[in-house]
Amino acid sequence: MITATKAEVLQGTLDLLVLKTLDTLGPLHGFGIARRIQQVSQDALLLNQGTLYPALVRLEQRGWIRSKWGVSDNNRRARFYSLTKAGQKQLAVEARSWERMASIITRLLAGAEEP
Amino acid sequence: MNWLREAVLRLRATLGRQRREQMLDEELETHLALLTEQNVERGMSPEEARRTARLSLGGRDQIKESVRDHRGLPLLETLGQDIHYALRMLRKSPGFTAVTVLTLALGIGANTAIFSFVYGVLLAPLPYRDASRLVVLNETTPRVGNVSVSYPNFLDWREQSSSFSKMAYIQQMTFNLAGAGVSQPENINGDSVSPNFLSMMGVRPFLGRDFQAQEEKAGTQRVLLLSDQLWQSHFGADRNVVGRAITLDGNDFVIIGVLPPDYRWLDRIDVMLPIGVWATNNPQAAAREDRGDSTVAGRLAPGVPLARGRAEMEGIAAGLAKQYPAANDQFGVRLQPIRDAFVGSLQTEILVLFAAVVFVLLIACANVANLFLVRGAARTKEFALRIAFGASRMRIIRQMLTESFVLAFLGGALGLALALAGVRVITGLIPQGTLAGASIGLNGTVLLFTAGVVVLAALVFGMGPAVHATKRDVQEELKEGGRTATVGAAQNRLRGVLAVAEISLALVLLAGAGLMTKSLYRLMNVNPGFQPDRVLTMEMYLSPQRYSKDPAILNFWQQVLDGVRALPGVDSAALGTNVPLSDRHSRTDITIEGMALPKPGSFPHPDVHTISRDYARTLGMVLERGRTFTDADNESAPLVALVNQKLARQYWANENPIGKRFMWGQFDPASKTPPKWVTVVGVVDDTKLYGLANPARPEVYDPLRQDVNNDMDLLVKSRIDSSVLTSEIRSAVAAVDKDQPIFAIATMDKLVSDDVSAPRLTLVLLGLFSALAVVLAAIGIYGVISYSVAQRTHEIGVRMTLGAHPRDVLRLVLGQVGKFALTGIAIGIVAALGLTRLMSSLLFSVSASDPATFAAVAILLVLVAIFACYIPVRRAMRVDPMVALRYE
Repeated sequence: MITATKAEVLQGTLDLLVLKTLDTLGPLHGFGIARRIQQVSQDALLLNQGTLYPALVRLEQRGWIRSKWGVSDNNRRARFYSLTKAGQKQLAVEARSWERMASIITRLLAGAEEP
Repeated sequence: MNWLREAVLRLRATLGRQRREQMLDEELETHLALLTEQNVERGMSPEEARRTARLSLGGRDQIKESVRDHRGLPLLETLGQDIHYALRMLRKSPGFTAVTVLTLALGIGANTAIFSFVYGVLLAPLPYRDASRLVVLNETTPRVGNVSVSYPNFLDWREQSSSFSKMAYIQQMTFNLAGAGVSQPENINGDSVSPNFLSMMGVRPFLGRDFQAQEEKAGTQRVLLLSDQLWQSHFGADRNVVGRAITLDGNDFVIIGVLPPDYRWLDRIDVMLPIGVWATNNPQAAAREDRGDSTVAGRLAPGVPLARGRAEMEGIAAGLAKQYPAANDQFGVRLQPIRDAFVGSLQTEILVLFAAVVFVLLIACANVANLFLVRGAARTKEFALRIAFGASRMRIIRQMLTESFVLAFLGGALGLALALAGVRVITGLIPQGTLAGASIGLNGTVLLFTAGVVVLAALVFGMGPAVHATKRDVQEELKEGGRTATVGAAQNRLRGVLAVAEISLALVLLAGAGLMTKSLYRLMNVNPGFQPDRVLTMEMYLSPQRYSKDPAILNFWQQVLDGVRALPGVDSAALGTNVPLSDRHSRTDITIEGMALPKPGSFPHPDVHTISRDYARTLGMVLERGRTFTDADNESAPLVALVNQKLARQYWANENPIGKRFMWGQFDPASKTPPKWVTVVGVVDDTKLYGLANPARPEVYDPLRQDVNNDMDLLVKSRIDSSVLTSEIRSAVAAVDKDQPIFAIATMDKLVSDDVSAPRLTLVLLGLFSALAVVLAAIGIYGVISYSVAQRTHEIGVRMTLGAHPRDVLRLVLGQVGKFALTGIAIGIVAALGLTRLMSSLLFSVSASDPATFAAVAILLVLVAIFACYIPVRRAMRVDPMVALRYE
């Protein structure tokens, strides 16, 4: 991960957030996912909401989410995305690796402070 | 597996592009609407809400582009774009496209056409198992060269050899097919083979069974295999043909099977018999000295190299020569890998033509490269701009290469069409049987070759100009603001090199064509020893079963001669055996009266012809001395003969041959019976029996009545059209015997023409390719000089202002042309001297470094070069100094 570019880091985080969002909130359309991510990350990750769409395409091609056309609350036709089984597994894997990374870095930084 | 799924999705995405874009549009619309609603809820006015929403969402096109990048196969799609762009660019310059595509089509098409021969004749695998282990063997004698193998010799070879695991004997035969089910009597060819022949070659009958071991013995039942062709034409491909009977020469044969359709051998046959049938009641089978139309095939034992097999067979032959001197003295053996036996002398011809078309393609690519250089130079500004705006150099190069590939592909496609027609035309000009059954066509391998040529050509003429036009220092040019097209000395040097190279290649080709022309001219001026014009020839073979006695045979021939001689318009008619250029030969030993007895293998061994009266007259042969045969030279008269000049000079050099005597066969001092002397009564001119290019051999002629023969050629000299004459002769023969087939009908003119068909066709093609090369080279020179003149217009203007005359300008330009031409010619001559040596086997009585030809060709190219730059030179001379000086 150290060698990943900034773009890839952002991409990876965004992917994780999308998966988590769908896991938490269930099937959601693009606007709904974007709104949730903006809330959570406080506008840090989405330069504009449109950058969500390439991420959605990528996740769908990897088989972690699937899409279906449906009707939204106010009767609009929208595409709804939902988590697949593989996506759920991927979410768990990603979450674990993030936690592991976080604990290592925490320990490292804590160790550096000790004289 | 995820990558697979991703790949599939991406592939699908590429294909369903439009629909997906529509759906994304809809999705983005919805998103925008929801965002707008949200903003309205937050208190914004509708317009402000929508504006803010649009900003939050981001640029629609950017989103779509980004999605697109993640979706399909970007490489494939940009390739599609490149091809689209390339086609548009090419359509914009139709002249350039047309010239380039045509040039490439000619080069690629010629290569494809000739390669199909290279493949079909030289490379295609033979339809045998492990063909590389198969060998063809024949006997040799120093008096003739290569001859057939006698059956007793073959049996000893097979028994004594250990380097060959199997050997088989193949004897050519001819039959008259008549009887039930056959509408018109006809003559067919067959091979009589050792029973293990087919299995040794790895060929299995398509229907029925193979021969069995016991069918080698004389007296075996009359069985045969049909060729696929005969099975189709005479038995309607009937699957129940096994067991049916067929009548050959009045004898019934049982059909035991059919050969596979891809069966191929050195002879073309209609039926195949076991050797035992040929050996039945045939004294030839036991005669060691009898070698007629036979060959031996063998399979080398595993692990045995050909060299060892050859050494062993030579030893065996030497042993047999000692053991049976009368029959085998000085007879050797020749081994050929089976491929060589099939290809023969064709290899040199085909490879020379292949080299020629490769040269043509190189010249074509050089021309196209030049055109690309010019075109690339014109677009330098465009490229520099694009690079300045951030386009990657690779992308531009890739796009230019795409153009090259599109052009090469178009050229290749047109070239394939040309090649298809070309192959058909060429095979039509080749006499039957020359290719020994090779199938020539645009098959998979040939198409693969064409694809390879297309790719290589595209790289050759596309890479250089593409890389060159996008070079970094090009941008410097832009800054300078110089004329659009100047990219410096390097490019000019490259153009010059290309022009010189083209001239060299063209010269080599012209030299080859020139040598072939001279050779063919010399060949066609060879005196054949007879007059072929207005002579029709055909063969008749009297089956022994129906014509078993000499009087019956003679009677038939006499009646036919009488009938034919009586036809209106017939000047003369005669019968003869082994007629010149009929590719049939019969040779025998003779003993000259009074000569010192030579070693058994050194007896005079002339070609023998048995002829009727009027033979020499019909063929227009010159009688040098004495007389020809008359009706008085019959069975009860003294034995007489004619000899040819070569024999007369060899054995009676300073004497009058008339009245001299010889006997047939080798004189045996131990024999009690007195020799039957034959008296020479006439001397005729030599005939080119073995073809115009081959030397004449000693020949002896004896009268038909004294040496009855049942297989003869009828020669008819007449004033009427040959097809009319043929049907009249058919009627005349039918009047004597309605079941007698006539075959091998041809005019002597055609036989002479076929004899030179190989060198003539090679010359035609070589000439065509040389002409093409010269035209392309001329275009190349024109292009280079034209460009150079355009570039130097300013310089010329300056010179003229300083007092130069148009004549000086002429000298200037011609000097440049001359430099190119002479350098090219010099290099070409050196190269040609080295390369034409490789085609010396194709040349008749012309040296591969014939100075006259080289000189003529060099002068021709100089003239061509001058002619090619005629227009640019005139333009240079007409330069108006005032205009030129202003011309930046």
